[in-house]
Amino acid sequence: MTALTNKLFLVVERDIRLFFQYKFLIIMRGIWFVSQIVLFGLIASRMVSVTDYFQYYVAGLSVMMLYSTALFIGFDIYEEAEHGVFEYLLSLPVSRRQLVLGRSIGGGLRAFIYVGPLIGVALYVIGAVNPLNFLIAFFTLFLFAFGVSGMSITIAVIIKSSDRFDILMGVLDALIVRLSTAMYPLAIVQQANPFYGGLTQLNPVSFASDLFRWGTGLEAIISLNNPLAPLLGIVAFFSFFTFVGIIIYDKRIEGGGWQ
Amino acid sequence: MNLADLFIMAIVYNQMLSSAITTQIKSYFNFFAPGLAVTGLFASAFMIGREINMERRREVHHYMLSLPMTRLELAVGRVLSGGLRGIIYMSPLLLTCFAFLGVPNVWQLLLIVGVLFLLAIGISGLSIAIAVSTSSLEKFITARGLVYYALFFCSSVFYPLSLIQQLGQEGKFPMPLVVLAEINPLSSASDMIRAFLLGTPAFSVNMILSVAIFSVIFTFSAAFAYIKIIERK
Repeated sequence: MTALTNKLFLVVERDIRLFFQYKFLIIMRGIWFVSQIVLFGLIASRMVSVTDYFQYYVAGLSVMMLYSTALFIGFDIYEEAEHGVFEYLLSLPVSRRQLVLGRSIGGGLRAFIYVGPLIGVALYVIGAVNPLNFLIAFFTLFLFAFGVSGMSITIAVIIKSSDRFDILMGVLDALIVRLSTAMYPLAIVQQANPFYGGLTQLNPVSFASDLFRWGTGLEAIISLNNPLAPLLGIVAFFSFFTFVGIIIYDKRIEGGGWQ
Repeated sequence: MNLADLFIMAIVYNQMLSSAITTQIKSYFNFFAPGLAVTGLFASAFMIGREINMERRREVHHYMLSLPMTRLELAVGRVLSGGLRGIIYMSPLLLTCFAFLGVPNVWQLLLIVGVLFLLAIGISGLSIAIAVSTSSLEKFITARGLVYYALFFCSSVFYPLSLIQQLGQEGKFPMPLVVLAEINPLSSASDMIRAFLLGTPAFSVNMILSVAIFSVIFTFSAAFAYIKIIERK
């Protein structure tokens, strides 16, 4: 059991180390986050009629950041396939399931390590925290990050083409983030377009954003009466992409065919 | 991503506008469509810098210098090609803008295309100037990030200029950034398209001047810096 855990830990550790080699990515995302808060968030909050929109936006921004950082693991997989590292990983004395579970956890954890300080900045800006709610929200953000990482891995091994993956991720990123409550409250999306509202309601980014706001005491803006529904949504999202992801990864990993 | 901003984000923001802003811009969708064309132009024209930074690091310039053309032709050609790529990428976004906001008359159209081309050349020049001044990809990307977001967010691309000026007067936004927003060529280009298609803000020759000055400064500084860097041993 200890040996199995150690192997899993090694896979997780490798992915975390790998991420912090992407200095440019880290710098770019950091600049993006800060400028979104101090420039766009500040000015846009004066343009809209939503109460406390600045705090609302900053909370959503943290979730958007977590989402896009956790997605990055899929690009790592293509990088490895392109340089022949994938075959090397398959030759290691680590089972396929340990490998994918470790990568999923590593992908989510490194996103969390990176976004953690930025969440601290967001909390400072928001200024209010309900400790118990926040702990629950923090835990669900972990699950969310692992789920996104698992989703990225699953899509990467299904598609096996870096160009198609790049395009699909661009489209997904544009749609998933914009059709969520990360940037605007659900009631307003529903008012703007009921179809968008329906999709927004089922979006894991919406679940994570609403729970984070609930945890930070901003629930008055989002009128989240029952946090259980988004919590279950996040658990379902995490379970699907982590456990189904393992099965898909297990089946698709062999035989090459990477483009 | 650009179209998702217009057809999702702008439509939702339409519902959130405060009454004070609604009297000023009426529809956020209409307000944002010209800004979107300008952001598309900016992002695509800026891409040339990354390529030149890569060429510099991989020392491809030895090959460039062996080509049968003068240094100046090579440098100005790179700036122009970066600008042209921006125009090509931006064209469908501008057409989308016309489809929803209406088509300008011939003179206005020529002016819009001309100013956007000048802007694209200026952006391409700015990008090349940054690319040749930075020795590593990390430095280039950091500088690009700073320039990108400063020019995007301190402009009237996403919100009316009056809002930034108002925040500045209230002391909630640094005055240097307010000045940057006022002289920002992205503000001028977006507002010029709005002036022709929406009627507000009023058209001013300063909009053209701002873009022209930006373009001249960065085309020549980029060409000069590029010549210097490719000749360096």
